[in-house]
Amino acid sequence: MRKWQVMVVTLLVTLGGWFGFSVTAHADADYTIATDTTFAPFEFQVKGGQYRGIDIDLLKAIAKKEHFTYQLKALSFNAAVQQLSANQVDGVIAGMNITSAREATFDFSKPYYTSGVVMAVAQKSPIETMANLKGKTVALKTGTAGATYAKSVQAKYGFKIKYFNDSNNMYNDVKVGNSVACFEDYPVMSYGIKNGIPLKIVSKQHDAGDYGFAVKKGKNAKLLRQFNAGLAAIKADGTYDKIINHYLHAKESTLTGETANSRTFVGLFTQNLGTIGNGLWMTLKLTVVAIILATILGLILGVLGVMPGKVGPAISSTIIYIFRGMPLMVLAFFIYIGFPDLIGHGFKIPAFVAGLITLMLNEGAYTGAFVKGGFQAVDKGQMEAARSLGLPYWAAMRKVVMPQGIRIMIPSFINQFIITLKDTSILSVIGIVELTQTGTLIIARNFEGFKIWLMIAMIYLIIITLLTWLSNWVQRRIN
Amino acid sequence: MAVKVQVRDLHKSYGKTEVLKGLDLDVQDNEVLCMIGPSGSGKSTFLRCLTHLETPTKGQIIINGHDLSDPQTNINTVRENIGMVFQHFNLFPHLTVLQNITLAPVQLKKETPEQAEQTARKLLAQVGLADKADVMPTSLSGGQQQRVAIARTLAMHPQIMLFDEPTSALDPEMVGDVLAIMKQLAQDGMTMIVVTHEMGFAKEVADQVVFMADGLIQEQGKPADLFNHPKSPRLQDFLNKVINI
Ligand SMILES: Nc1ncnc2c1ncn2[C@@H]1O[C@H](COP(=O)(O)OP(=O)(O)OP(=O)(O)O)[C@@H](O)[C@H]1O
Ligand SMILES: [Mg+2]
Repeated sequence: MRKWQVMVVTLLVTLGGWFGFSVTAHADADYTIATDTTFAPFEFQVKGGQYRGIDIDLLKAIAKKEHFTYQLKALSFNAAVQQLSANQVDGVIAGMNITSAREATFDFSKPYYTSGVVMAVAQKSPIETMANLKGKTVALKTGTAGATYAKSVQAKYGFKIKYFNDSNNMYNDVKVGNSVACFEDYPVMSYGIKNGIPLKIVSKQHDAGDYGFAVKKGKNAKLLRQFNAGLAAIKADGTYDKIINHYLHAKESTLTGETANSRTFVGLFTQNLGTIGNGLWMTLKLTVVAIILATILGLILGVLGVMPGKVGPAISSTIIYIFRGMPLMVLAFFIYIGFPDLIGHGFKIPAFVAGLITLMLNEGAYTGAFVKGGFQAVDKGQMEAARSLGLPYWAAMRKVVMPQGIRIMIPSFINQFIITLKDTSILSVIGIVELTQTGTLIIARNFEGFKIWLMIAMIYLIIITLLTWLSNWVQRRIN
Repeated sequence: MAVKVQVRDLHKSYGKTEVLKGLDLDVQDNEVLCMIGPSGSGKSTFLRCLTHLETPTKGQIIINGHDLSDPQTNINTVRENIGMVFQHFNLFPHLTVLQNITLAPVQLKKETPEQAEQTARKLLAQVGLADKADVMPTSLSGGQQQRVAIARTLAMHPQIMLFDEPTSALDPEMVGDVLAIMKQLAQDGMTMIVVTHEMGFAKEVADQVVFMADGLIQEQGKPADLFNHPKSPRLQDFLNKVINI
């Protein structure tokens, strides 16, 4: 075998291994249960990438009582709910309010916590009541009880609404003054304020509602029974109260092991080294595998694009048109949530695989476009000389046109590698904890937005610099 | 003598413009045919039709007994018997001189890599470039590149060779080397169709000269007749211009 053939085989085996691994990892646990990523004190990530919080600890205690195992999947609240209805996960515990609308699609456990919605404003804000909101903008987190409540009183108080996907961005919008207020569950808001969010609560609790654990309607009845039984048991033996007190009457620092003097840039960096390292590793893994897949797809599309006849070029330009035109985020949602929904039968795609397919299609379409251009840039006389010697089309393509075309394309390939690396950050929307999502998670816990984002930005720049050096070196070698 | 190339009523149009307007031509075994004519008259197009780099709009071409318009004909097999040398050499810049020559014979399994290399070295010696086997083509002068291109074509052992202005992209002092090799080929009995502006070469080597203009063969005959007693005013005019240069 030639060198490149060995490389391709090794690669495919490695890929196969990964996929196999991610599938078996799922099969190990009895259930897959989804939760939110940033909803302290119910769920949030602590040092080392572990999730903690009321929901997490309750679930753990209940599972122990009832002897079942589960794999926890931290997604955005919306993604968690969508996945539950698409049968991608077995249950959701995410500070989820039991509402009649939700009861149409989900079955809920007995309520495990009761909380109301409060309005919070910036510390120096003149706004004191909802009557002051007229004409102003209010920040809401999609799918929360706070959002439902605010919508119900929007007409009455005449404010505008701006939606966010996670709590921190919502708080931050109020903090910097883009919005004047936000609506949030009381325990969440008061926990956050205790931990340094510079907002204040200015209303009493409204619309008190019950939090429940949800399964898809008519499914997983056994899991629901186990949850209810377990909940009763931990309420009876005092575990429940212990958990609630632990979170609602504690400073974040005592939960995460972080101390106030570790809030310097270097301190934060060393504190979160493990988490950031894991995120970085995921980003690199996604980038490398996606680049290889996209390159293969791109080469196929490029070759189809310059084939004689009409069919090849038509297929190539259609695929390029579709996947270059679709925003990466839409494509990611479509593959991860839309596609399994379409197939039904409980079909699941691991997020990592969905992310790879997304990147492969999108980056592959861009690659296909420049590969086609590269082949077209090879002097026509080359193909003619090869054909006049009697070489068939494919042999001429492989031996004469492709090697020259690929040389022309090298700068575009390098450019595409860098774009792919950056595009992996978009996959955080389907719950892949790569470098960017890692940043979101760390900030959800310590609210150090500036320092952490600076850190993440620097890491990206360093990797891109290294990648550029490497590719310049490769380019020099080839020429 | 056997007919190697037979062309009947050959037409070629690009869209609405007709470039070849009905050509008839026979080339015998071992014959050297030189084709002259003003720029744009369709000489290159004619050669490209012979190797099927262009598909004729109408008419018949029979090479070595194979009818090119017959869908049963395997064009790759025909091409193995008919070599083409281009004005701009079209060497493969990513391969060494030796690899340029051995690529086709090895790919088409005509020879083992070892045999092909032997043949290639012999051919390089024949064109006076024995010491250039392992260099890249771009490091060679134009004349050297064209000689490599000839060797590359010869490596397929063609029975017919087509030359499309093989010396017109060369510096004057390089022209002689290339023409000498072509002359040697002619003497060895190769059937050749040569499009050229080298009147001296045509006079000395050609068995037959064809004058083309406006997509038609205007005059045809032995070099002595054609050059010394041109009949049509077009040819007289053309020869005057060429000689005055
Ligand atoms: N692919 C093409 N599409 C359209 N027109 C073409 C194409 N190839 C050639 N032609 C036209 O056909 C005519 C004949 O071209 P051709 O190259 O055969 O002339 P030529 O006799 O070889 O000229 P020269 O001495 O300049 O090489 C020219 O007018 C040219 O513009
Ligand atoms: Mg020409």
